[in-house]
Amino acid sequence: MEDLIKELKLSIIEALNLEGMTPDDIDDNAPLFGDEGLGLDSIDVLELLILLEKNYGIRLASPKEGQKVFQSVAVIAQYVTDNRTK
Amino acid sequence: MRIARSIDIPSGATLSNLYREHKIEYPKFFKMDTLCKLGFLASELLLEGDADRFEPREDRAVLMFSRNGCMTNDINYEKTMADYPSPSLFVYTLPNIITGEVAIRNKYKGETSAFLLEEYDEGRMWAVVEEAFQDSVTTSAIVGWIDCRSESEWTCKAYLIER
Repeated sequence: MEDLIKELKLSIIEALNLEGMTPDDIDDNAPLFGDEGLGLDSIDVLELLILLEKNYGIRLASPKEGQKVFQSVAVIAQYVTDNRTK
Repeated sequence: MRIARSIDIPSGATLSNLYREHKIEYPKFFKMDTLCKLGFLASELLLEGDADRFEPREDRAVLMFSRNGCMTNDINYEKTMADYPSPSLFVYTLPNIITGEVAIRNKYKGETSAFLLEEYDEGRMWAVVEEAFQDSVTTSAIVGWIDCRSESEWTCKAYLIER
């Protein structure tokens, strides 16, 4: 799980152009959206949806499911572990 | 009307270095396409050091002119369409986004307009600027000719014009 979390953080930094950030700057359990944590926006959600599909073969059924999955990197990692097809 | 300040970002300059050298803090910069980065940086350099920088205001217009508009980003976006079309590139497939980015950053609520011209045409640009000053609100404008021909080749001239 630790390796997957690190891999996810690197992918998120690259996909979302989070300039100057390293995996260590992202708390596993910090919220990804809103004023706390990474402060990502709605376009970033779309990039994360693509990231999951491209890298792990996961297609989320609805934006509502996305809200649950994209709570934090730790939650994404658990979801990927449970649902990945590649 | 008079040109109060002007700035020129030379073609090929490393924009991220310019961002860091001027100690700008706006992480969204790294998500912008080259056209928006140029417009954003030009406005930052023009306004650098202004005391009332981020006070909301309605009296400043943002007027941008270009020939190629967002063509460089359009080409990059088109390349992603074969695989997974990129939402973050799609956002910048409109040339007028540049004026919105500057207005949002500076809390401007005045006129914002982007114009595509066949060639650099100072006469037409000046006519548009004069018209913007015809209302009872506008007292200044950030005006730019920002023509991005590739990610490393452009013309970027911007002016702060005051009544």
